[in-house]
Amino acid sequence: MLRKEHNDLLTQTGPGTPGGRLFRSYWIPALLAEELPDNECPPVRVKLLSERLLAFRDTEGRHGLIDEFCAHRGVSLWFGRNEEHGLRCPYHGWKYDYTGQCIEVPSEPVESGFCSKIKLKSYPLVERGGVLWTYMGPPAKQPPLPEWEFALVPHQRSFISKRLQECNWLQAMEGGIDSSHVSFLHRGELTSDPLFQGAKGNQYNLRDARPVFEVVESPGGLYVGARRNAENGHYYWRITQWVMPSFTMIPPRGDHPVHGHFWIPIDDENCWTWSFDYHPTRALTPDERQAMRDGKGIHVKYVPGTFRPRANKDNDYLIDRAAQKEGRTFSGVAGIAMQDASLQESMGPIVDRAKENLVSTDNGIIMARHRLLRAIRNLMENAVLPPGVDVSHQRVRSASLVLPPDQPFKEAGREALVVRPGVAHASV
Amino acid sequence: MHSESARASSAAEARFRIDDPNSRPRLVKVVALDRPSQAVVERLAQHQCSGATFLIASAFAVEPQGGGQLSMQNRLSDLAGHPKQLLDEINGADLLVMVATAGEDASAAAMIGEACSRKHVMTSALVLGSGAATDAALAKTLAQLRPWALMLVAASSDDYIADMLSALRA
Repeated sequence: MLRKEHNDLLTQTGPGTPGGRLFRSYWIPALLAEELPDNECPPVRVKLLSERLLAFRDTEGRHGLIDEFCAHRGVSLWFGRNEEHGLRCPYHGWKYDYTGQCIEVPSEPVESGFCSKIKLKSYPLVERGGVLWTYMGPPAKQPPLPEWEFALVPHQRSFISKRLQECNWLQAMEGGIDSSHVSFLHRGELTSDPLFQGAKGNQYNLRDARPVFEVVESPGGLYVGARRNAENGHYYWRITQWVMPSFTMIPPRGDHPVHGHFWIPIDDENCWTWSFDYHPTRALTPDERQAMRDGKGIHVKYVPGTFRPRANKDNDYLIDRAAQKEGRTFSGVAGIAMQDASLQESMGPIVDRAKENLVSTDNGIIMARHRLLRAIRNLMENAVLPPGVDVSHQRVRSASLVLPPDQPFKEAGREALVVRPGVAHASV
Repeated sequence: MHSESARASSAAEARFRIDDPNSRPRLVKVVALDRPSQAVVERLAQHQCSGATFLIASAFAVEPQGGGQLSMQNRLSDLAGHPKQLLDEINGADLLVMVATAGEDASAAAMIGEACSRKHVMTSALVLGSGAATDAALAKTLAQLRPWALMLVAASSDDYIADMLSALRA
C-alpha cells in the first residue's frame, strides 16, 4: 500500500514535478540510433517525460532534440524539411539548427538579427552503443555520459530494442524487480525460449517455486537476491540489479546473453520499455540475433512500422485460452515481454496503490519506492545528486551463482556483481 | 473497435474500480533482537498508529534446552518490560518481523524462527545500519538471520521499517 501523495510523487514525471526532476538528473535513452539512420533523414517525433520533442540528424550528422513546435505559429516541425544544416518549417520557412537556435526567418531582414532572438528548447542527444541518449536537466548539472556495459561493448555483442508500454513507468519497472512472479508467469518459457533454455539454473528455478529473498541496498539502488536450493546443501542465487531510477538487469542463464531493461516515461500513462541483450565476451550468434528479432526472450514482435507490440491491448494480447489451459503458457499470453506488459497494463494507466496488498516477498518493490522517495526528497530539499548518476553505479552486472549456505551473495559475488572487462558474466 | 482489454484498462474505466476495502487488518509482530534495534522499535512505536505489536527479545535465553530441543517457553517482553510468551504472541500472527542491527548478536532469531516455523507464521528480518557497518559485520548478522527469515532486507536507514510496515498495511 502506498499513500496517494507518495504515489503521485513517484508516478508524475512531467516538467516541474519532483519525480520529473529526479528523471532529469540522468542520461536516459531517447531513441534507437537506427531511427535516425542518415544525415538529413526525416525527423522523428519523441515524447519524453511529458514533453513533445523532435529528433533529427543534420547535414553534418549532428543529432538534435528540440521542441516539436515552430516558435512562429506552433506548427509541428515533424513536417519540416531537413536540409542544409537545419530543419526548416514548411509553413513560412523558419529554420532551426540542431541546438534549437533559429537560423533563418525569411520574412525578416537578415540584418535585423531577429532570428537570433528565437530559440527552441533543446536537449543534448548523443549516440552510445546504438542508443541516442538525452539529458533533460539543467545544463550546469549535466553528468558524464552513461557507462552501462551493454552500451560500451562492441556492437556485435549486443542487441537493443524498445517497445511501447501503455501504462505508467513505475508499475512496469516494479515488475522488473519482482523476482517472485517468474516461477508462475514465465515458467513455460524457461524450457521453450531459445534464449533461456538449456541452462542448469533453470532446473533449480523449476524445482523450487518458493524462493527466499534477500534485498540489500547497493550504491546505485538494490541487489535483489533470490535463493533456491541446489545440491549438497548449497544455494542457487539469482541476483538482480536495480539502479536508480529505472534500470534493471536480470540474472543470466548459462552462456546465454545477459539482459535487462530501462523504463522511461513517455508521459504519466505510457512508457518506453527498453530491452537489451549482450554478452560481455563474445559476439551474439546469428541464431541468437534472429531469435531476438523474432520477439523471443525479453523482446517482442511489432505492429509493422511501429514500436507497438503486435500483441497489444487492442487485440486482447492475442490471449490463447487453450494454451493457458494446457499449460503451454501460464497466462495464455505468449512471450515474456507481453506476459508482463499485458498484466501491468491491465492495472490501468496509473495503478492505485492505495488498494494493493503487498506481502513480505514484495520488499524489493517496497525498498525501491523507499529509495526513490528518499532520493526525491534529498534532491528537492538539499540538491543532493541521486544514486545512479555516478557512472561507478552503472558499472554493474547481475549474476547467478551456486554458493555454500554460509556465504552471503553480496560478499561471495563481489566480483561477479561489477563489470570486469574481458571476463564473462557469472552464470549457472 | 476497441477490444475489451483496451476499454477496461483506460483511465475512464479505472474510476469504476470497487472502492470497498479488499482486505482485513493484518496482525504483525515486530521484534527487536538487540539493544540498538530496541531503541529504533521504541521510537517507531511512539509514532506508529497501526495494528503492529512491538516486542523485545532481549530477555531470550538462546541456548538450546536439554536434548538439543529449543524451548518454546522463553519470553519476550513488550516495550514496557512486561513479559510475553513467545507462542502466545505468534499465535494467529500474519507476519513476524525481526529487527536486528548489523554487527550485533542476532542469535535470538533462532528461537523465534523455530517457533514461527512450527506455527507456520511468515517471517521477515530487517537488518538496520547496513550502510555504516563493515561487510563482515553485516555478513555475520545476515548469517544468523538467514535460516529463519523467508525475506531478509538490509537497510541503511532506520526509517525503512515505518515505510515497510505501512506498505504491508501493518
